Amino acid sequence: MIELAPNHKYGLPIAVPVMPASGTFGYGEAYHDLVDLSLLGAIVTNPVSLRPRRAAHGQRIGVRADHFVVHTGWPSPGLHRVIREAGPVWRRLPVPVIVHLLAARPVDVGRAAAHLSGVRGVRGLELGLTEDLSFAEARDLLAAAAEEGDLPVIVKVPFSRVDDLAPRLAQAGADAITLMSPPRAVLPVAGGEAGGQVARFMRGRLYGVALFPLLLNALSRWAGKLGVPVIACGGIASPEDALACLTLGAAVVQIDALLWRVPWLLNSVARALVQSQPQPDTEQDDVSADQGAMEANL
Amino acid sequence: MARRQTATLRTLRPVPPVWEIRLDLEYAPGAGSYVLADLGGPVREPLFPSVVDDTGFCTIVPRGHAVTRYLPGTPIDVIGPLGQGFRLSAAGYVPDRLLLIAEVDELPWLQPLYQAAPSVALVVEATTRGRLPPPARFPPTLELTLVTRDGSTGYLGPLESDGPTPVGIECALPRVRELVAWAECICIAGDMARYPALARLVQEVRFRPQTDFAQALVRVPMPCGVGVCDICRVTTRHGERRACVDGPVFDLMDFLE
Ligand code: FES
Repeated sequence: MIELAPNHKYGLPIAVPVMPASGTFGYGEAYHDLVDLSLLGAIVTNPVSLRPRRAAHGQRIGVRADHFVVHTGWPSPGLHRVIREAGPVWRRLPVPVIVHLLAARPVDVGRAAAHLSGVRGVRGLELGLTEDLSFAEARDLLAAAAEEGDLPVIVKVPFSRVDDLAPRLAQAGADAITLMSPPRAVLPVAGGEAGGQVARFMRGRLYGVALFPLLLNALSRWAGKLGVPVIACGGIASPEDALACLTLGAAVVQIDALLWRVPWLLNSVARALVQSQPQPDTEQDDVSADQGAMEANL
Repeated sequence: MARRQTATLRTLRPVPPVWEIRLDLEYAPGAGSYVLADLGGPVREPLFPSVVDDTGFCTIVPRGHAVTRYLPGTPIDVIGPLGQGFRLSAAGYVPDRLLLIAEVDELPWLQPLYQAAPSVALVVEATTRGRLPPPARFPPTLELTLVTRDGSTGYLGPLESDGPTPVGIECALPRVRELVAWAECICIAGDMARYPALARLVQEVRFRPQTDFAQALVRVPMPCGVGVCDICRVTTRHGERRACVDGPVFDLMDFLE
């Protein structure tokens, strides 16, 4: 078992260090024909807000070469409807559910955390922060989630704020830190007049395999130094990528939107990580040896 | 059920200005539904059928699309069939009189319905005559109505508009109304932005059409196909719906404003 919230009164033990990233897997069952859920460590839900939110207007995806930008505005049916519709599913799932909360105001986060604390199947919260939050605002959101509910709180840190927020939020009481939300990016998109003569642009979250080296950079700087488990997220596209994250000190990996192309990547990563787990008596030596080699290279 | 399958690329041929590819596939999508194909990009692409038969389906891709460089025999990983396609027997019986309405670029997705009823009428709209397929490409059993935006052939479009008509050119709207009154079922493929106006037109002629009397295909990017990414959300009068699982074929009246 991997303990994702060692400092929390109930903890958040998971059997396998793999889960889908928020916003990529729905609320639990959408992929049940293609993914063996029992092989995963947990499910992370799509972002949930206390009140319903509508989708963003305009173009929502731009694809270019090996990467793509998504801008959905994080639509959400609202917490009550999510609990009503997904709650019965969560009860049946063979793995714990981590609900990803869209962090807006502390009072909303607190209320959502309190509601979710009594929902069967839900074993943790992941707080999604926007890039523009100050540390004090982020800390207040974290405090609201932790104090109003009794679930472990993971904080997902925006790509551009890792150095600034990750260590301080870990100190402020986050049970685990997810590194990282996708970077914001702008893509020129097809269209406009006369065969694309007039350029249009779209801004959104960037996904693609090129995020992976950025993730490794963040892990090499922070995993093992935060004092809480780190969840790696960004551009992981193979079991080897996932292993590299664990070697650099991540406790768990999340597969992001790349799983839309290969949903069963979740299972192949899970199998590979389970198989690669060293025998208990050699585990420490192997990992520290690997880490030592990696640190020397870095 | 979201099923993973391996399709085999059987043939590719240019049909200017696009390419037609044929995929052999055990479970092929029906008219208006789709499969998500892994064609080498970072996200899957929805492929809608332009022809469906027992061993697979044909689809249309733009000139220069990556798949046009594949060799026949190439295996392609697909998920599907997915989504709700056209539902011709929604009323509990197969209609005798089917009306198809398409903008020319979306016409391929109605092609599998050309022989779906004893009487099928087709209205095709293009900007100008040169954009319309040659009449020989249509089966003779189809009752064909051509509409051009510039009046270069057929009726003058847009087909839902009753603006002023130059002398000697007939406006499409009366003809379309006549066909809407005649039809027992209507299937539409076009620009979604026009669906509210088309819904109003159908409502004017049929007053209170039954559910799915008129159905409209919504083609938007659908990278996940299972309702998790929220990229394909469309606004209907019942709120937001996901084209990938709630559609991509919707009751046209869902777009009434
Ligand atoms: S394609 Fe992802 S929700 Fe529809």
